[in-house]
Amino acid sequence: MKRRITFIQRPDAPFEADQAALTSKSLTIRNLDAAREDRITFGLDDLPQELRDVLQQSHELRFRWTTERSYDAVAPFASRVSPGLHIHYTPLAAEQSSEALCSLLRTVFSTGEGQEYGVDCLKPEDTFITPPLLSTRFAASASLQFYTQLPSLQPLVDFIKKSACSQRKVGDTECNERAASLLTADTVDIDYDSISHALTVSTIWANAPSGGWTEDIQKPSSGADQVEFGLLGTELGLEPQEIKMGGLLAVVGQDKKMKPTMFSFPSRHHPLPKEAGYTVSFSTPTGLHPTMAISISKAALERPPAPSDATCALHTYLTLPSSVFGDQYQLGTTDPLFLESHNLAALRAVSGETDLEAPDWAVERWGSNWLFELATWSPDPAQSNFTATIPLHLRYLDPSESGYQTANVPWPVAFWACTAEDGTKMGVNPFDRTNLGWDGLFGPRTMFYQLHPESEHLIESVEVPVLKLTGQGMFKAKNIELGTCVAILLGFLWVLWRLVRVAWSSGISSEKRPVRSDGHDKKD
Amino acid sequence: MGLFDSAPRVLIAATVLRLVLLVYGGWQDANSAVKYTDIDYMVFTDAARYVSKGESPYARDTYRYTPLLAWMLLPTAWEGPAPWSTLTFAFGKALFGLADVLAGWLVVQLLRQCYAFPAERALRYVAAIWLWNPMVANISTRGSSEGLLGVLVAALLWATLTQRAILAGVILGLAVHFKIYPFIYGVSILWWWDAQRDGAPPATKTGIFARITGFVTASRVKLTMAALVTFVVLNLVMYIQHGMPFLHHTFLHHLTRIDHRHNFSPYSTLLYLTSADVVTFHFETVAFLPQLLLAVVALPLVLAKKSLATAMLAQTFAFVTFNKVCTSQYFIWYLILLPFYLPSSSLIRKPTLGISAAIFWVLGQALWLSQGYNLEFLGLSSFVPGLFLASVFFFSVNVWILGIIVNDGGASEDGNDQVQIK
Repeated sequence: MKRRITFIQRPDAPFEADQAALTSKSLTIRNLDAAREDRITFGLDDLPQELRDVLQQSHELRFRWTTERSYDAVAPFASRVSPGLHIHYTPLAAEQSSEALCSLLRTVFSTGEGQEYGVDCLKPEDTFITPPLLSTRFAASASLQFYTQLPSLQPLVDFIKKSACSQRKVGDTECNERAASLLTADTVDIDYDSISHALTVSTIWANAPSGGWTEDIQKPSSGADQVEFGLLGTELGLEPQEIKMGGLLAVVGQDKKMKPTMFSFPSRHHPLPKEAGYTVSFSTPTGLHPTMAISISKAALERPPAPSDATCALHTYLTLPSSVFGDQYQLGTTDPLFLESHNLAALRAVSGETDLEAPDWAVERWGSNWLFELATWSPDPAQSNFTATIPLHLRYLDPSESGYQTANVPWPVAFWACTAEDGTKMGVNPFDRTNLGWDGLFGPRTMFYQLHPESEHLIESVEVPVLKLTGQGMFKAKNIELGTCVAILLGFLWVLWRLVRVAWSSGISSEKRPVRSDGHDKKD
Repeated sequence: MGLFDSAPRVLIAATVLRLVLLVYGGWQDANSAVKYTDIDYMVFTDAARYVSKGESPYARDTYRYTPLLAWMLLPTAWEGPAPWSTLTFAFGKALFGLADVLAGWLVVQLLRQCYAFPAERALRYVAAIWLWNPMVANISTRGSSEGLLGVLVAALLWATLTQRAILAGVILGLAVHFKIYPFIYGVSILWWWDAQRDGAPPATKTGIFARITGFVTASRVKLTMAALVTFVVLNLVMYIQHGMPFLHHTFLHHLTRIDHRHNFSPYSTLLYLTSADVVTFHFETVAFLPQLLLAVVALPLVLAKKSLATAMLAQTFAFVTFNKVCTSQYFIWYLILLPFYLPSSSLIRKPTLGISAAIFWVLGQALWLSQGYNLEFLGLSSFVPGLFLASVFFFSVNVWILGIIVNDGGASEDGNDQVQIK
């Protein structure tokens, strides 16, 4: 097991030398105001059996979880995904059925009674969606993808406590504490691939708890384990695509002193200034055809500080649960009038459930993903805000007692994508983050400049009118059934009776009468 | 005066109306984000584009028609510079509009030949109901294919009343291949076409066996064979070309559809409940019984021999009214048959009755549409009781009107079945 703890201090954050003290046994930090990343790498042997079984059948398995609360994404942790749990999965053998994965997911992320959130999946082939591949040769995306809303990691924490911590002979308190610390995390990435045979869990806390980080980090008890520590700050690199970092590094239990360091590397993800934000809303009334409005601040419309010869475009990437869908023919149009009226440049990619008619209960896959390029060349300088709108539609949802259901839509991410020079090696970044769903839709040498979502809670709720189902009263289900039945039967009998009367009075054969030159219409 | 004296004038005016709408539609499409062109037309033209690239038209989601339609619209897939592409894009709409005019002309011919209408009266009715009806012109120029059904049904009636058995059979087979529902006309036409129509003296023998052999006439056999051969050959060709997707999208889809979004049908609410698995007693599985008993058995049996066109109108009305799904495009199905019925109907003879029927029908629509608006655009949960009651009310109005049509059809004295070719 390898653990890497990195604190990233803002340039203006206070720091005294005694806030981080290294001894031969441990490292102590006090009241440190910094963003934090914990990256723990497990060998397969370190993991519980049920997890190991699933991993051994996976070519790659990646989790990207992000909180629904808003948080600051600072360099080098600038990238974002829509709040919730995203899973990217490639089975080892394409034809292999992997019910085991779904059953593991249900165990790990089950929210217990009520099941308001959680993984609703039986087989990845049915529930997961297939992202579009830019090139199968250099597949940058996993072959299957899943999303679910997940406001809290409590189920995962419970699972770790039950399965991992309770099996330990020593250190179970620390294990429990560290598991519980996930509850305050802003993002959690879990990565496994069959090449490294290692499971990496990266957790980011964008802000320190009140009073700062105070912790005693012990030297690992086993010689095979390692704890690395870094206290770093970032500044602009020499090249526009680079990030420069400087600070102190140490391996706990090995180094006598913290080593000062300074290095720079090209980065895939860059933050934009704080003012470069966006908000997401649905204009009311939403009806059955809600329109998502993405308002982008003026600062965010400025071209990002990419090299001058780079091509840049502003994008947004939507993650829609199955209850909400877009019409790929409507949105994929090249009609400039439609696109202009919505401030869209083009629909660049769509994957997942795009059935235009099916009700929600007939849809097995979790939903869909949409990548749009926004038409940033058109903003009127007099306008203070730029708003792109995306017309969407609601599926029929199950009847409810109130006559309404809620469709929760996570905020999309918004970012500038700029081409980077050939030969830029993004992978050397020790904090590089890939497999976010949307990054795989661009070439491997693309830089992303992230816009900041401006809201406390990054989920929009849309009220969906459904059939109001009351257990009693005049319009309970039974009466609707009966009412329809009676109405049809009465209508049928009425017409039949009319026909019988006709047949009774004049038979069913034709009346041979002389043809008149004019019919009956004497008024004509 | 004199506008209705000449058929060319009425037809040219109808054509001009459609041309104006075509040009206007092209202008609106080019200048507004809200399109004049119907969504369905985008489906057809996308499918035609797939076909032009040698792919299956069913590659386009929601293409639920015979490949014939996509083939007919192949010119819309021609790419070209700006003025050309606009023209080729409008090809299908122009075709649908022309089909409209042709249908109207056929109805005028029939009214004059077989119903002995003076030219002016025939033109007046057909212009009011079909040729100059802005709704009909609008639907075809927006690119809905329902107008094609109009011309097929008009041609079917024309071929039948002028006693061209094989032609009638071919048209029937084609129409059923196109849209299934015209199969109901087959029954009434067969029943209508007894030996006396072919000039035989009235039957005198009354034995069961004699009746059965008497039923089988040359015309009936010809018509049935022509219809079956056309239908089977068309389907076979399409099946060989496109396989299961053709069968699935053109026919089977209607049996397995799950998209019971709100519509005018009285079954709509029940189907929502059933589909969401709330109810236990599945009445909707026998919904075809009242619908087909009326449209395929009772109505043809009682009415066809008295007045074929009225019988077909009543069948269409019953089929649409008792259908599990009912949208406004279905109303165009019976519009083409109205000119045969309306002139001698009690709705015209008794203006109070006619006006009340119109008012109730429009009221039924208005009630439903206001509830639909509340749901669709305001997001109010108006399924129950709003939409439910509105659809049941609309159903009742339609049943009442159907009763009137049946009554009129029974009392039909216009002798329309006496063919007067010369």
